[in-house]
Amino acid sequence: MNTVLNLDSLRSCLEGILPAGLATCAPDGTPNVTYVSQLMYVDPEHVALSFQFFNKTRENILANPHATVLMMDPDTAARYRLSIRYLRTETAGPLFERMKATLAGIASHTGMAGVFRLRGADIYRVLAIEAVPGHSLPPPVARAPLLPALRRSVDALAGCRSLEHLIDTLAQCLERHFGITHQMLLMADATRQRLYIVASRGYASSGAGAEIPYGVGVIGVAAREQTPIRIIFPAAEYAYSRAIREQLEGGELADRLEASIPLPGLPDPSSQLAVPVRAGDRLMAVLYVESDQQYRFDYDMEDALVALCAMLGPCMCALQFEALDDDGTPATPARPPPDAAAPPLRVRYFAQDGSIFLDDTYLIKGVAGSILWALLQDHEALGRCEFSKRELRLDPRLRLPEVADNLDARLILLSRRLADREADLRIEKAGRGRIRLALARPVSLIAGGVQAA
Amino acid sequence: MTSPTVLTPALADFVTSHLSIHLAASDDRGIATLVRGLGCRRDPTTASRLRMLVAAPQAEPVLRALATNGRIAVVFSEPESHRTVQLKGHDAHRVERDPDDTALLAPYINTMVSRLATVGTPEAFVRALLHCPTEALCIVRFTPDEVFGQTPGPQAGQRLATGSALP
Repeated sequence: MNTVLNLDSLRSCLEGILPAGLATCAPDGTPNVTYVSQLMYVDPEHVALSFQFFNKTRENILANPHATVLMMDPDTAARYRLSIRYLRTETAGPLFERMKATLAGIASHTGMAGVFRLRGADIYRVLAIEAVPGHSLPPPVARAPLLPALRRSVDALAGCRSLEHLIDTLAQCLERHFGITHQMLLMADATRQRLYIVASRGYASSGAGAEIPYGVGVIGVAAREQTPIRIIFPAAEYAYSRAIREQLEGGELADRLEASIPLPGLPDPSSQLAVPVRAGDRLMAVLYVESDQQYRFDYDMEDALVALCAMLGPCMCALQFEALDDDGTPATPARPPPDAAAPPLRVRYFAQDGSIFLDDTYLIKGVAGSILWALLQDHEALGRCEFSKRELRLDPRLRLPEVADNLDARLILLSRRLADREADLRIEKAGRGRIRLALARPVSLIAGGVQAA
Repeated sequence: MTSPTVLTPALADFVTSHLSIHLAASDDRGIATLVRGLGCRRDPTTASRLRMLVAAPQAEPVLRALATNGRIAVVFSEPESHRTVQLKGHDAHRVERDPDDTALLAPYINTMVSRLATVGTPEAFVRALLHCPTEALCIVRFTPDEVFGQTPGPQAGQRLATGSALP
């Protein structure tokens, strides 16, 4: 392959902003030419073409794998011919899902929503790249380089001594160094195949505790396939307002819509990027960023955030355990005892799904709900307010998974959710791996009963 | 094989209405290549033939393949509607450019600027994409003998019977 021209430097041609042409040849020598809905970068030596319809192109490449693509740079109009050779078709998995999401954006952008349906991702090896002679425009003014932003962010994350500090630092770095104003971090719950928001920025409400099932929307697909998903145009079928509601309405959870925390997020984002955060093979979280601006996140931005998340995952994993003994943050001063004369806060708990309602209003469910219930039970029975994370980890009432329990993440979530609700009940740090239950008024605990929602 | 009726008036009107064009040819090793077209008009002497404008430096591999076997495929697409047809022929070859060919380039580019503006493509981009000095402009003439509907959708790629409605 040409050493100067390479796919890595031509990735903007492979964003699907402008259609490419594809020429193939039948066994009898007859040429065929079509427009390609989507030409996607796979790696420096491979591209993928969307396979949507059974047609002459399909017939030709199965019989004669050689083809030529004519693509253009969406900024400069420079044109390139790629000599390619068909290798295989993928109909499931990370690459297929990335292409499907990208195609959904292209379909909306070109008025083809409902027409384009991805049957497969056709993988081709790039044999040669030729610059086609002709006029072109000067390249656009370069934006601020991403490597310094990445380096500053990596340095900042490396200095974090607790999971909460890490999560907050990540959000700050994305905002300050990458100029990303709408973002969420969702922790993975592999047992329940769901993600829950632990932190967000740029929305009216934090949405802490709001859940997304694996496989739903950009974030859920990134989690299920453990691959980044990026869409540079509005794509209605991946918008959460719609995707989640449709899934819930059609499923067994239809009656539980009220008992959920609303998802934050832009109603119709023009650009979306979800990046899985992994430690080894294990999915820890998904970072999601979005924008009202089209093509806000390009391949380079995806690279930068993937690299950042490659560092974030192992940090998260390490800090979840180190934080048990000393999370490096000072204790919050103890509050005065609750006003005994105030009307009690009614806390209702449903063991079936760990859901908790405060004065009949839904708070949270799952492990975070079970944690809060256990703390309140001990407070009522034993008068305790302070607890060590170590004892919580061993408490069978919490039903934590034996490995990868995410206790610290769940405590952060619980504490933020209570703060979002401005509840008369808070979870605070009590120093050296300890937490404190802070009550502004007495509580009345009610176990079980008919689901209020 | 050549049918004089393939290029019906409706089809000729469509393909000469200044659409987005790509021409492909295949060499004798079975390798197809392609180039962007810069306009299309009916041949004034033979109504069943089309004259395609291309930039010679860009079209070099296509012209080379056409010189060996004359097999051509040309796709025409209306950017605003995605209405698309593909024509094929067996007798394509390079012919001398005449003044009417040269005169076609400017209106072709101007119409493409307007068409692509409706899908948000800036004028400067379209002019750079379609720029061709007169001396580089060359003409490929061919007789379409097959036509295929290629508007995106499950019907894309189907051969259209002579005289049938365009997709």
